[in-house]
Amino acid sequence: MATTATPPGLVDLVIDGKPVRVPAGTSVFDAARMNGVTIPTLCHLQNETPVGVCRLCLVEAGGRVLSAACVRPVDPGMKVVTNSDKVLSARKTVLELLMSDHPTPCARQQHSGDCELETQAHAAGIKQARFAKRSVARGRDESSLAIAVDHDACILCDRCIRGCDEIKNNFVLGRMGKGYSAGIAFDLNSPMGESTCISCGECMVSCPTGALTNRGVVGTAIAKTTDAQVFDAEELLQIPVFKGVSGTFLELNTGAIVKRKFRAGELICKEGDFGSTAFYILEGRAQVSISTPIAHVKTDGGAKGFFKKLTSSLVSRTEDKRDEERRDRTIPIDASVDLNYGSPVAELGAGDLFGEMTCMNFYPRSATVRAVSDVVAYEMLRNVLDIMLKNKSFRAQIDANYRRRALENHLRGVPMFADLAPDFIEHLKESVELQRFSPGQMITRQGDPADCFYLVRIGFVKISENYPGGELVLAYLSRGDYFGEIGLLGGGVRTATCTALDHVEVVRISGDDFRQMIERFPTVRAGLAAVAEERQQANQQRMQMLQTVPIDQFLSQGLMEAQSLLVLDLENCTRCDACVNACADAHDGVTRLVRDGLRFDQYLVATSCRQCRDPLCMVGCPVGSIRRRNSLEVIIEDWCIGCGLCARNCPYGNINLHPFEVIVDDPEHAGRKKAAIKQKATSCDLCTHLKEPSCVYACPHDAAHRVDPKTFFSEMLGQGSTK
Amino acid sequence: MIFDDLRAIQLRHGFLPKAELESLSARTQMPLYQIHSVASFYPHFHLVVPPKAEVRVCVDMSCHLNGAPELRADLERRFAGAPAEAVQIRDVSCLGRCDLAPAVAINDQIFTEVTADRAEQIARSALRGDTVHEEHPHVPRVACASDPYVDGTGVGEKYGVFRALTHTKDFAGVLALLKESELRGMGGAGFPTSMKWDLVRREPATPKYVVCNADESEPGTIKDRFIMTHLPHLLIEGMAIAGIVSGAKIGILYIRHEYHLQEEILGEELRRCYQMGLLGKNILNSGLDFDLQIFVSPGGYICGEETALIEAIEGHRAEPRNKPPFPVAEGLFHKPTVLNNVETFVNVPQILARGVEWFKSQGQGGSRGWKFVGVSGQVVNPGVFEVPMGTTMREVLFTHAGGIRGGRTLKAFAPSGPSSGYLPASMVDVRLDFKALADAGSMLGSGAIVVCDDTTCMLDMALNAVRFYRNESCGKCVPCRVGSQKMTDLLVRWTQGGLTEPQYRADLALLDELSAAMGLASICGLGQIVPAPIQSVLKHFRAEVDAHVLQGKCPSGICFSPAVRAGEANRVGIRP
Repeated sequence: MATTATPPGLVDLVIDGKPVRVPAGTSVFDAARMNGVTIPTLCHLQNETPVGVCRLCLVEAGGRVLSAACVRPVDPGMKVVTNSDKVLSARKTVLELLMSDHPTPCARQQHSGDCELETQAHAAGIKQARFAKRSVARGRDESSLAIAVDHDACILCDRCIRGCDEIKNNFVLGRMGKGYSAGIAFDLNSPMGESTCISCGECMVSCPTGALTNRGVVGTAIAKTTDAQVFDAEELLQIPVFKGVSGTFLELNTGAIVKRKFRAGELICKEGDFGSTAFYILEGRAQVSISTPIAHVKTDGGAKGFFKKLTSSLVSRTEDKRDEERRDRTIPIDASVDLNYGSPVAELGAGDLFGEMTCMNFYPRSATVRAVSDVVAYEMLRNVLDIMLKNKSFRAQIDANYRRRALENHLRGVPMFADLAPDFIEHLKESVELQRFSPGQMITRQGDPADCFYLVRIGFVKISENYPGGELVLAYLSRGDYFGEIGLLGGGVRTATCTALDHVEVVRISGDDFRQMIERFPTVRAGLAAVAEERQQANQQRMQMLQTVPIDQFLSQGLMEAQSLLVLDLENCTRCDACVNACADAHDGVTRLVRDGLRFDQYLVATSCRQCRDPLCMVGCPVGSIRRRNSLEVIIEDWCIGCGLCARNCPYGNINLHPFEVIVDDPEHAGRKKAAIKQKATSCDLCTHLKEPSCVYACPHDAAHRVDPKTFFSEMLGQGSTK
Repeated sequence: MIFDDLRAIQLRHGFLPKAELESLSARTQMPLYQIHSVASFYPHFHLVVPPKAEVRVCVDMSCHLNGAPELRADLERRFAGAPAEAVQIRDVSCLGRCDLAPAVAINDQIFTEVTADRAEQIARSALRGDTVHEEHPHVPRVACASDPYVDGTGVGEKYGVFRALTHTKDFAGVLALLKESELRGMGGAGFPTSMKWDLVRREPATPKYVVCNADESEPGTIKDRFIMTHLPHLLIEGMAIAGIVSGAKIGILYIRHEYHLQEEILGEELRRCYQMGLLGKNILNSGLDFDLQIFVSPGGYICGEETALIEAIEGHRAEPRNKPPFPVAEGLFHKPTVLNNVETFVNVPQILARGVEWFKSQGQGGSRGWKFVGVSGQVVNPGVFEVPMGTTMREVLFTHAGGIRGGRTLKAFAPSGPSSGYLPASMVDVRLDFKALADAGSMLGSGAIVVCDDTTCMLDMALNAVRFYRNESCGKCVPCRVGSQKMTDLLVRWTQGGLTEPQYRADLALLDELSAAMGLASICGLGQIVPAPIQSVLKHFRAEVDAHVLQGKCPSGICFSPAVRAGEANRVGIRP
């Protein structure tokens, strides 16, 4: 070959004594590879632009120093040596340097035994690196649901960076810092799970070590049930919604997604159940409904004997109109549709996703889903759902579905928007923005300029205000709730801070659209103004209250905002528990009072709902049926499905579940009815139907008092005593 | 430009708040990661709120020899217990004030010949909320022997060579003269200048660029600061000549950000040139264009590496490129680029004005031309001196710099900062010449002569140098990023003594392996040169190293003092 003249466009060179001919512009690495000479590397991947940073592919190429073969183009007549002692020894030192800081065995080596660094080091005969180990750990990042990051295992080969930026064009990953402290970072060095990362998995697939690895499947192994059909990554990649996801990544998650078939009439999931999966309907139709009676718990009844006994019963709204009842016409559930209050049934079809909240945040199922026709659906665990939700093509589909089908209901579900004209809704369908927020991310900040209005689509948003004594949580908003109107209607400044509590999605309506809306639809303006007015008045009252009694302790104990407290004067109390028994007697044997709680001076504040500063009970309610009134009182709406999450969440044990016997459709026999127990959450109702709360009435020692905390504590603190 | 945006944000907020970077990203369509990746690379940018008084003591070579460790320790004592958001005392890499050591940067303003009292006073005023300002005492222009336009030489008015050249357009003649003069790059590598310019001239790609590397950051290097102060016109003329000769229409003068005064002087000279029509479009009606602008470095020694410098101008992390291709073919924005040091450009009008014969006749012992050297460390009269090339080191140190301070004796000297390694006093008759110094196992480099007297511990100086490289490594390639840290770890262990002989032998072998790998495998000169200081110390001062390692004794009484130890922890780990 060397004797003939080199044809144009080709280059003759010698690699390890062997003459080779390759196209001009070929790298030495490729020239060697094409001619059967393997050069080791860590940072080079065939599908990524070479960067020449790991310095493992070093060869002698005639220069003063060694060249990285991956970035060195061939020159005519070049003599390349890939295996001299000089080359081998430099390579070995490079490996030893990397190994001295490597957590051996790293996550990749542990999982699959294919850490490229450890494999190469082993092949080079490095058993124990002789250099000092890294003294300060670079740390781990567990914030992503799909990918685990171990910065200590990172060798800065830039493969993930090129995968993210060059191959997938997601532009999330880069190098940060300089020198020995350099590392990889997501966005502005955010935790991976809070970054704009879409979990496509490319970085993890590109990583040669255990720095970026697949997180183990969380939750139950859904693959184990008999009817589930596990299928491989190849098949998944055929489905449009998985476009853009790395195949290897899906392979690693085999078993976290299964295909299921449901016969017509079969139950897919049941309201109130706990679960960890979401469903994506491929074909067929399913009915989504709430089967728990839509009614609230009413306690009344005449005297039965000497002690006044009360009975609780389920009473619908029409029979028992409550003060401040929310006039909602829809019930928000964990699906792409909302249910109508009057007839809580809707239908889901192909392309619909449901169970997202249950899957992402482990909330109970919000509704019952039953197959209408034969249904084929994917059931998936959190890591797969996360991958899908962050995938561009899937998001595009879900967002389009939402705009097309749910946005209108969603808007009209807010009573004051009921009058919006269809053409305006059509306009909004195009112009609204759908935004996602990660747990803890701030959506609006108190004091910032207000430029848009938000509707909660998924998740919980914490609304809080800064007070002299600290932060006060005004509300936890869930699906169907809205915020941001006060700032737009008022001074153009945000009056509260809104933070995503979990995986939140909101519909963002721009300030311009909002202004147009309230101009065109006076009823909307009036409705919003009234609500804003109410909210602001309540705010002012709180402010005054907090200014007159600036007591941190009360604030932190959540007592000041209570409408009414049961206090036990421990100087008089003999611990006879007559109050507790009386409460149980008054409420069908279920006490709503526990004689335990915070102590202040000689007073014990018994546990009965104290309308906390941070009402944790509201977090997670799958149907948004527990909420705060503007007066801050916590109330339970009548579409409570009795899942019991609020009862578990209440740190004071003030929410109880009250069982009721009801007649429901028999799932086994279509068309037949059967008796079933349905539960409803209840909290202290102050025995509003009696002259005096039964606990106070029952106390034989004059130790129990229902007090207005404002007066009670101001007097006590002001004068040192209430006596 | 990203750096302008980041500087504007930092000027407004004192640091780079997340929200501002997010809106910058939205405005410029630059991904967040890219903004962060750049901002976190340069120490100039604060990603968190900086303390009210950020005191940064220069700890490299000359300052190290002039009491910086003690100063730092003293300041730490004085501000002990002060909250981190009020005062932070940290190290900083060479500030380029080696002749006025020790130097301290307080809130990015540089103060020289600082005592602990003065530093404390300035820091306290910063704590009170005052804005601190560095002082620029008036420096009279020094007449340099090599300036062809110095009064009385009769060569003519300033920029005479350039004016004539725009008229004659004899660019081939310029290249021929430069070739005959054998002018070589003065930044350290010594590449023939005429060849570089000719290569760029022959490149078909346009636009072409001329870039001046005025980012001297090697400890001890202060000559470019002097040249830019006293001969700004020669620098601009040299760059303009390079521009019209190579066919570049844009020149960029890349200056280190610690040189506020020189930036002003050059800016003023540039304005004058534009007023005179010497720069801009259609220069002196010749039909030639050349625009020249100043680019202020976002900071870091690595920016002095030519391809890292190019990356910085492009708004990236200053990470050196793999070569080839070289800047002459693919430089700034991947276009042909003439990239030279300040002194190289300054030499060009000298040669063209006075002729090759004059240039040849100026050197001593067969060398050519003049050389600016910075002398710092433990000498009576530190500063920059203009000496004929080929002058002996003895003459530079003892005649120009006034000899060793305090009547002490010379122990060692670095001919050009840490990169040249240390030579013992016995070699003081070496000539300042490319070849002579290379033969001595060192290099002419950038003429950053650092002088150590007989109280100096050479192992300590080697460790000081390796730490400097470790701190300034860009982190792109493994040998330099990890190797510089491991070499630091190894030398720290040596200064602590207490090794057995077999352990020491194993360490020495490991050091040699590491040195070879770093020298052969690193992408750029920084990584390749890291082993030089310790290798030179092992070569010339082996007994001193042995005493530390095997007997736990520092013959100079330096290494086991707490002042020298201070600060190691602060320099490792993620920079806030």
